Amino acid sequence: MASLELKQEIQEALKNSTLSRTLGNFCSTYPAKREKSYVGVDFEKTRNSIKEVKSYAAEHIDEMIEEFTKNCTARGGNVFHARSTDEAMEYIRNLVKEKGVKTIVKSKSMASEEIHMNKILGADGVQVQETDLGEFIIALEGNTPVHMVMPALHLNKEQVADYFTEYTQTKNEPVIAEEVKTARRIMRDKFEHADMGVSGANVAVAETGTVFTMSNEGNGRMVGTLPKIHLYVFGIEKFVPRLTDARHIFRALPRNGTGQRITSYISMYTGASEVTVDKDTDEKRKKDFYAVIIDDPGRRAILGDPDFREMFNCIRCGACLDVCPAFALVGGHVYGSKVYTGGIGTLLTHFLVSEERAEDIQNICLQCGRCKEVCGGGLHIPEMIMKLREKSYKENPNPVYKFALDTVNDRKLFHSMLRIASVAQEPFTKGTNFIRHLPMFLSGMTEGRSLMSIAPVPFRDIFPTIQQKVENPKGKIAIFTGCLLDFAYVDIAKAVIADLNSIGYVVDMPMGQSCCGAPATYMGDRENARKAAELNIEAMHAEDYDYIVSACPTCTHQLREYKTFFEEGSDMFKRAQVLADKSFDFCKLFYDLGGLEESGDDTPITITYHDSCHLKRELGVSQEQRELLTRTNGITLVEMEDSDVCCGFGGTYSIKLPEVAAPILAKKLQHIQDTGASLVAVDCPGCLMQIRGGMDAHGIPVEVKHTAVILAEKRGLL
Amino acid sequence: MSTTDALFERFKTNLEAINGECSAASKADAGKVVADLFKAKGLKSTCVAETDFLRELGIVPALREAGVEVFTDHIRLHAETAKGGISEAQYGIADLGTIMQVGDEIDARIVATMADDYIGILKESTIVDDYDAMFDKLCSLPELPNFVGFVSGPSRTADIECVTTVGVHGPLRVNIVVIQDA
Repeated sequence: MASLELKQEIQEALKNSTLSRTLGNFCSTYPAKREKSYVGVDFEKTRNSIKEVKSYAAEHIDEMIEEFTKNCTARGGNVFHARSTDEAMEYIRNLVKEKGVKTIVKSKSMASEEIHMNKILGADGVQVQETDLGEFIIALEGNTPVHMVMPALHLNKEQVADYFTEYTQTKNEPVIAEEVKTARRIMRDKFEHADMGVSGANVAVAETGTVFTMSNEGNGRMVGTLPKIHLYVFGIEKFVPRLTDARHIFRALPRNGTGQRITSYISMYTGASEVTVDKDTDEKRKKDFYAVIIDDPGRRAILGDPDFREMFNCIRCGACLDVCPAFALVGGHVYGSKVYTGGIGTLLTHFLVSEERAEDIQNICLQCGRCKEVCGGGLHIPEMIMKLREKSYKENPNPVYKFALDTVNDRKLFHSMLRIASVAQEPFTKGTNFIRHLPMFLSGMTEGRSLMSIAPVPFRDIFPTIQQKVENPKGKIAIFTGCLLDFAYVDIAKAVIADLNSIGYVVDMPMGQSCCGAPATYMGDRENARKAAELNIEAMHAEDYDYIVSACPTCTHQLREYKTFFEEGSDMFKRAQVLADKSFDFCKLFYDLGGLEESGDDTPITITYHDSCHLKRELGVSQEQRELLTRTNGITLVEMEDSDVCCGFGGTYSIKLPEVAAPILAKKLQHIQDTGASLVAVDCPGCLMQIRGGMDAHGIPVEVKHTAVILAEKRGLL
Repeated sequence: MSTTDALFERFKTNLEAINGECSAASKADAGKVVADLFKAKGLKSTCVAETDFLRELGIVPALREAGVEVFTDHIRLHAETAKGGISEAQYGIADLGTIMQVGDEIDARIVATMADDYIGILKESTIVDDYDAMFDKLCSLPELPNFVGFVSGPSRTADIECVTTVGVHGPLRVNIVVIQDA
């Protein structure tokens, strides 16, 4: 459960108008910019290569360290292998003292943030200057980075001008070009006089002992060119075995980071390069070059855990932040680690900074899966965050959730409660199909949207009364309704049956079925999720049917995942496999079984389509439903902006963090309205509940319907 | 159009797309082309990291003749005040408009880093097709120099309000003069 403190921090972030404007702009233009930069480049191939070379390095980490050390030393460098962050910092302190270093210029190094280098050396009386413009600005503000690539996104030019005025003691105008000039002037003097330069590495090559630094501003080059002493600080996750391997990373890093095909500078340092030690005599020699490799227990814990080891494939491009609907709203400060932010930041925070903080911030993840599509290292970020959630739930179960999830798993009790609720909700629905306000602590659930009401008669009671007229049936399909179709959206279930009947299939409803277990999974309650799997494998008895259909992609995905709860080769595992192979989401099954025939009532209607996260990204279905709709006479399909960005429902997310879910929904509603469509088609009852509730709460006259319902209506099947 | 001409055209187009400038010159008129650039930009002083090739082209005499103050030693000192910087680049990448600095000589690195206006001299014959071709070349070197740098246009930042601004710590303007050496 998100802590009160986190909720307050989220509120603060949402109030920062500069953050919402610049971050919002950046995140909304990022996907197109990124895509353009990949023209002619095979992203999948690139990230597979990255995965390959980085996981090789991770599996051979001791060799990497040894080889790098040998090769860098042979070229005149000094390498220190630090077994903890304290050890790294102690080495650096001694080095600085021994060399009499008074001033340091630094280009971006996240590893140096982890070891609190600026603070510790500062306390020793050393002046440590951040030279990256964004880092410099937040250092003046006394804040931490809001974004891994763009650290000062939360400040506007007026605020920057004020900080510069205070620092230079002369008036600075809020003109960006002028501010950049001021930064150049201030920093130039620092570069020219610094005793030592400190850099972070994007990549370290074992075979040659080379470290790479990528930058746009040129501060990285100044740091590596002017001072007589040059120190690199980086973690063991930066290694690749061979020089040729680095190419894959620098193919993805600028494109994923900022949508650039290449940054202004990529610099490679192999051992000690030349430096001018005395500008008056023009004396030159090899510089004093040091590399500190951080090999702390946190990093070793990542390597030692098969569930998380792929974190080593991360290239720190920040793409997972840029496409995250929650990050786009709240920015990086709420992640609170002071170093790493966003999805990957949540994971890194757990291992490298604070487990406690990670437990709190993992709640920010919607599990929409958008980050996985763009991740440069091919990391399964949402799945890893789920693992954290499971761990947290196991160690610290929330009693209210636990009670709720236990209840859901007791089918008879859960179903009778839903029946009671359909009567008890009366005071809140006021005779409509919506619950618009809930009292007291439940009020967050109706923030910015209305909730659907429970159907007066559940679908399981209606099903036996449905007449299915199918001559010479082609096959038999079992419907898995899930809770929402059974107890709220019975019209969707009816439509699914009518649609499937129309193409020659009869539909059966196994009555022993209950909640699919997804809510338990997403809350981190693996035990209750496993119980749900067992119950439904038994109840659905997939062996008796040609297919299993569900009109909820989350349920479909969950049905397909049941086997992960059982031991491979066991009887339950085998049965889960049968169920998985036969389970399809409605539009995919309907399309494949011949539902794509030209028909429809010819009455013109303009529709826009919202992609559900699970249907598009987990089940890979995005074209079939569009074809089904456009081949229906009378329908014109207009695409909305960001049709595949989460609506904010996110399972139980909208209940846990309504502060974030509500503005995500508001954006979705705006994109829908911008199309001018009078109807939104969706394939997920969760999205339907969220978007329809949003339309109702804001009084927007746009209808929201499931694709199955639209098809059945337009084809006259109901 | 010959293959090298096509590579040059691609190099120029891609360099201009990232706010760089690109000119072409024969060996004979290289000095004049560079001197004219200084005149056009109103630059009065420059550091030059000399190489055999730059001497052959007569860059320094041409600049001095045009009244530009030229420093060829004590580069670290003079780069603090001289506005221009000239060095030879070892390779170009047509597909990106990138030049390569492959070598450890500190003076060459200083002029390309500290100048307001950087002028890179590039042999047309050293332009390679793309990023992969360049990486292949680096990997086939018998020994990697202590320093290798990819330089793509002028320095830039988008750190304030995501507004891209050219010229932060590194050069404000970059002009690559490609010498037809075939």
